[in-house]
Amino acid sequence: MKKDELLKLLMNCNRCGLCQEVCPTYKVSHIEANVARGRNRLIRLALENQLNLDKEPEVEKIINECLLCKACEDSCPSGVPTPEIIASIRTHYTNTKGLSLGKKIMYRGVFSKNRNISLIRNLAWIYQKCGINKLVKFTGIFNKTDEMLPNLPPKNVRSLLPALIKKLPNPKHRVAYFLGCSVNNFFSSIGVASIKVLQENNCEVLVPEVNCCGAPHHSAGDMEEFKRLAKNNLKMLNNLDVEAIVFDCSTCGSVIKDYKNLFSGDKEYENVAAQVAEKVQDISSYLVSIDFNKNMGTISKKVSYHDPCHGIRFLKVKDAPREILKSIPGLELIEMQEADMCCGGAGSYGIFNPKFSRDILARKIGNYKNTQSDILATSCPACAMQLSFGMKLHNLNCSVKHPVELLAQAYEIKSL
Amino acid sequence: MVDKRLIDQLRQIVGNENVLTSKISLETYAFDASPYSGRPSVVVFPTTTEMVVAIVNIANEKNIPLMPRGAGSCLSGGAVAPDGSIVISLTKMNNILEIDPLSKIALVEPGITNKQVQLAVESYGLMYAPDPASQNISTIGGNIAENAGGIRGVKYGSTKDHIIGLEVVLPTGDVITTGNIHSHVEPELDLTYYFCGSEGTLGIVTKAWLALSPINAEVKTMTAIFGSLENAGSCVADIIAQGVVPTTMEIMDNIVIKAVDDYLKLGLPRDAEALLLLEVDGFSSDVKTQVNSIINAFATNHALSYKIAGNEQERQDLWKARRSVNGALGKLKPANIVHDIVVPRDRLAIMLEKVAQLAKKYGIIIGQVAHAGDGNLHPTLYYDHRIPEEVEIIEEACDEIIKETIAQGGTISGEHGIGIEKLKYMPLAFNKPTLHLMKKIKDAFDPKNICNPGKLLPQITED
Ligand SMILES: Cc1cc2nc3c(=O)[nH]c(=O)nc-3n(C[C@H](O)[C@H](O)[C@H](O)COP(=O)(O)OP(=O)(O)OC[C@H]3O[C@@H](n4cnc5c(N)ncnc54)[C@H](O)[C@@H]3O)c2cc1C
Ligand code: SF4
Ligand code: SF4
Repeated sequence: MKKDELLKLLMNCNRCGLCQEVCPTYKVSHIEANVARGRNRLIRLALENQLNLDKEPEVEKIINECLLCKACEDSCPSGVPTPEIIASIRTHYTNTKGLSLGKKIMYRGVFSKNRNISLIRNLAWIYQKCGINKLVKFTGIFNKTDEMLPNLPPKNVRSLLPALIKKLPNPKHRVAYFLGCSVNNFFSSIGVASIKVLQENNCEVLVPEVNCCGAPHHSAGDMEEFKRLAKNNLKMLNNLDVEAIVFDCSTCGSVIKDYKNLFSGDKEYENVAAQVAEKVQDISSYLVSIDFNKNMGTISKKVSYHDPCHGIRFLKVKDAPREILKSIPGLELIEMQEADMCCGGAGSYGIFNPKFSRDILARKIGNYKNTQSDILATSCPACAMQLSFGMKLHNLNCSVKHPVELLAQAYEIKSL
Repeated sequence: MVDKRLIDQLRQIVGNENVLTSKISLETYAFDASPYSGRPSVVVFPTTTEMVVAIVNIANEKNIPLMPRGAGSCLSGGAVAPDGSIVISLTKMNNILEIDPLSKIALVEPGITNKQVQLAVESYGLMYAPDPASQNISTIGGNIAENAGGIRGVKYGSTKDHIIGLEVVLPTGDVITTGNIHSHVEPELDLTYYFCGSEGTLGIVTKAWLALSPINAEVKTMTAIFGSLENAGSCVADIIAQGVVPTTMEIMDNIVIKAVDDYLKLGLPRDAEALLLLEVDGFSSDVKTQVNSIINAFATNHALSYKIAGNEQERQDLWKARRSVNGALGKLKPANIVHDIVVPRDRLAIMLEKVAQLAKKYGIIIGQVAHAGDGNLHPTLYYDHRIPEEVEIIEEACDEIIKETIAQGGTISGEHGIGIEKLKYMPLAFNKPTLHLMKKIKDAFDPKNICNPGKLLPQITED
């Protein structure tokens, strides 16, 4: 975004402070620099040449500490798009300074290439299984993330597809299922459940060969790589003869839905992106829209639901996952306080901002604990990773599940 | 430059993580929700009364100005840090220490937000009556210091009517407890009152005993639209004259209606000249009679139509609309000034009209909302602070609004406080003996004038 456009957006912030109520970094710190109002103020001073963005490491830190969770924007009476403003400044940093080495390895080296994510996943799996994590810290990345990684499945989803995808005799619906990198590599049980649940509801499922949605690159301000990934995905998703492109990852869903803004003004891709966006559907919402099969077995458990930022504020999904949970016989849904507050995972946020991430997580887990439920459900693998980490950190013996995993389980119990 | 020894001393009192000194972090404490800004030298976050005392002692000994701060939502510049000051942020003293549902008292620390108090007492069927539109973020300490009024103010009064007692650290470092917490008999000289509306100039509130009120059995929320501000204003006067005491009567003008509707998309009547929002509470038979009288008043004052909120969602939507006014208006222009004038209720209609005329005369945008029930108007003037001519016109228009208010027998601040913004109008609103007395009171509490100096009390010229 151009400087004067940014300034114009910033002027709309009349410093009312109402963002304090919802900004997670403010809630855990009570410090003005860590709320939309303070961040906007600093950026405005910089754009009005009263501060030099490039010579103030503290400002850069503050900019990077924003979760881009959008809570402020949604409750801002002046509609100030703080996350968008912050993302622009991050792009400025990436353009002028390049990515830090850690981020470069992490984003371009790992997320950008499907093969590398799988490779890392396999290495990580071996690493976890053999217990060498206790002996050596073998790369800079593992160093910081080993305890954040979930227990890894032995195989990724894509390699299981031949066995999973069934030919249905009389499919009523035809959908594409977007297999994102987190689900594919780290949470294969979610991917397996999604495919099974869709098939159980008489949907013929296509699984296009997509790559990373680009969320990590976007949040780091690496726009060049983000665009490259986006173009690849659009090519794979365009012109599919399906009624919906279904997502079990709220982050992938919202990022892809937003490609149309990324390419606004681009003749070649703008329309394609808009057409694809039309078909983006969160899996719970899609299931509700086709009146999903309610013939299920009983799961006698208490469950609470965490709204991923990308679910509630980007895709605007609120009721559908809850409806699914409530439809399962025996399952009791207990709402937690601040269910829609970011969990502090925010992609790779936790790796680069461990203190904030853990404080926000502690608050989230505290809210969950008060519900005294057995399962914490959520619709985004990025949140699932952070929340499972939280369970470990706070010594809770509760599982984190995607609503479709519970639904798949309920269907399975029925057919036993 | 900031005294290194001072910083070390402060760190020893509150811990390293509770002291901010960097240029960048101070920049985010320079301002509040008003257009002013200042230059603090350090920000500290005490968590106990003892820490506050220790900080104040240092400030007192070294003659350093200090300023208590809550959420920084003050609209008149009260929370703008005086140059070189120690900002004492109370936001980490945010616990509810006790709720006594039998005596209907809550004991809280000053940094807790108004909303959190409401949520905590709700389960006892109680509420804390003052409910400023900033309640989601503004703190009890800030509410007390500004004597915040709320939407329910017509019936329930303002903050000062709901404070039973306070613990205050005086600018001298002494700690006092005001009020008579265990009995409803008022002491002769009620010190609590001095602190309500003192704008952080008399001391730092570290604990507050709040009076809670029962939530009323039934509430009805209604809206009516009018073809002119004047009709809406007369309608309010009429309702009061009939002896009905709604909890709220809020008027919004066309500019405000449109801005809020743009933000919330609630389908408000976008071409109405004025919208009156009101609410009555009580037992159901009582509510019914009140509603009937109000509908009569609508008719006599030519309301174009009216509506009664059918369910809780509709009611919440209307309140959300009202609470969003300040922010929603932020979109119109990069800067604005909100006035907070009060006129006798029978002058409300005239005052609304006068302000609308001023907007025309100066060719500027003025949005008007009014807590009409207590004659408190919030005309908001929009401008671009980067254009000197606009700033000048706005200043002229402001002066004229204040003069008109005083001519109508009114006063300059209902709830937002004097702060920095209205200092220059103090001599218009109060005569010299009154100002002198205020100054003497300030001296008695704060002999060295270190507590939030430069706010509330103007320099008195001797002529
Ligand atoms: C969107 C919006 C809507 C608003 N609506 C209303 C409304 O309906 N009614 C209303 O009355 N006001 C309203 N206000 C103004 C403002 O919210 C109130 O004045 C509020 O009481 C300020 O509280 P705060 O915690 O933000 O205090 P701050 O702004 O931090 O401080 C305000 C003053 O209080 C002093 N202070 C703070 N804490 C203490 C303490 N512990 N001890 C002593 N002094 C202290 C400060 O020094 C300062 O002078 C609104 C403001 C905004 C931005
Ligand atoms: S970002 Fe929005 S909510 Fe926050 S201070 Fe600015 S205008 Fe208010
Ligand atoms: S996006 Fe989230 S973390 Fe960032 S300023 Fe807004 S509310 Fe705070």
